[in-house]
Amino acid sequence: MALELKAISATNYPTLGIKETERVCKLIDVSVCIGCKACEVACQEWNDTPVEETYPYTGSYQTMPELAYNFWNLIKFREVELGGSFGWTMAKYQCMHCADPGCLRACPAPGAIVQYTNGIVDFVQENCIGCQFCVTGCPFDVPRLSPKSQKVYKCTLCSDRVAAGLEPACIKACPTGCLQFGTKKQMLEKAMKRVRQLKAQGFSQAAIYDPPGVLGTHAIYVLPHGDRPEDYGLPRDPSVPWIVSLWKGPLKTVGNVVLLGGILTAALHYLKFGPMRAEEKTRG
Amino acid sequence: MVRETQQVMKPKRQKKSVVKETEAVLVSSAEIERYNLRERLVHWTVAISFLYLLLSGLALYSPRLGTWLYPLLGGGTNIRIWHPYAGVLFALAVTIMTISWRRCLWMYPEDWEWMRYSWKYITHKEGVPEAGRFNAGQKLLFWVLAFSGLILLLSGIVLWFREKFSRELWLASILAHEIFAIVAMGAIIVHMYMGLFASPGSLRAMVEGKVTEAWAKAHHARWYKRVMGIS
Repeated sequence: MALELKAISATNYPTLGIKETERVCKLIDVSVCIGCKACEVACQEWNDTPVEETYPYTGSYQTMPELAYNFWNLIKFREVELGGSFGWTMAKYQCMHCADPGCLRACPAPGAIVQYTNGIVDFVQENCIGCQFCVTGCPFDVPRLSPKSQKVYKCTLCSDRVAAGLEPACIKACPTGCLQFGTKKQMLEKAMKRVRQLKAQGFSQAAIYDPPGVLGTHAIYVLPHGDRPEDYGLPRDPSVPWIVSLWKGPLKTVGNVVLLGGILTAALHYLKFGPMRAEEKTRG
Repeated sequence: MVRETQQVMKPKRQKKSVVKETEAVLVSSAEIERYNLRERLVHWTVAISFLYLLLSGLALYSPRLGTWLYPLLGGGTNIRIWHPYAGVLFALAVTIMTISWRRCLWMYPEDWEWMRYSWKYITHKEGVPEAGRFNAGQKLLFWVLAFSGLILLLSGIVLWFREKFSRELWLASILAHEIFAIVAMGAIIVHMYMGLFASPGSLRAMVEGKVTEAWAKAHHARWYKRVMGIS
């Protein structure tokens, strides 16, 4: 499945794709996650990200407090109240590969963030200028700046493996079938089937997490308590921040009008009234 | 009007005697110092840092302009590194400018009165009140730019050290930075049009420091009278 560009950051000409490609998708069925962290290890191994010194024990099984520039796949462990009793949730967290990526919209560096026709959103560090606007644009708080290279990094959905016809490393490592990979269509079908099963088992609020605020994602979840995504560390109704949309949309038009209109008005004024020459004014 | 009789009048030191000697002979060819060296240095520091900020800001802001502004200004990463430092230089120079010109730039009652004639001024009509060292339009333009500069500085600090601030503050800063960059861009177009095209002699005043008597009389009559000791 060859990679073909669909969108390029800070670029206003159309991309050149002509190939038909299916959208790919990662399915995370939280109900069968056992928190083994095989996906975390596989991610680090495939992407050759060095293992940092572990944090002091904070009372949680979580490997790191949050994602890091060299740690793109984190299982979040939470102790919450679910249905009136104690609940322990564990859910893998990584880049969601939004269909409408806020990072790409906010990025001012041409070609630093690309979206492939298969749905993968990838960072191209050679073109990154380190401004971190993508961090501001991301509704999931995923991109992280490396203090060393001053570039941002995140999960690539193993675009290199996917381009070669392989599944992402985390999927490969998952022992329970919690993580599955295929086309978006296939994964939605599987997820719906799973939701039906969960509902039959008594999880009346079981739901698919495929947030429409970002036009859907290419990493979707099955949540047994779908009415409470926060309990799995997922934002409720995420969308590209309205300020980012305003900044890259209507306000840009205002800026263009001020710049071009200002220059045009000045030129017209000059043609109509000409310069104010001191000699003429004092002569009279 | 013989060339040898031209001389620069330094208002502070010798204005009275010079006026007496030359009043009869010279009307429009004498020269008056309008901006001393320090004022010009401060102005051009502000101007160059502002231009860099504007152009690099536009490069980060618009892909259309970015395609040629990025290579012109040192590439995206360098722009990202230098833009905030240029901002610090700009802020320092504007602070010095504001302090040293605070009296000339203050909006006095007569300036608000002048503003009522601004349309006449724009359309080159007679009857505009005489201006002091700066006219009210220049003063307001300065304050618009200085205020925009302050907002741009504060929001820029948030965007520069974003890990120290909250997500909400980043978003607010992005919005403020863009809005006031547009305001400042609009204001600077007016200023550059006036200085470079609409008011001949103004650019020379800011480069060489001197203006002709005719220029001073025509554009800043109250200031002219004051430096010449005419009441």
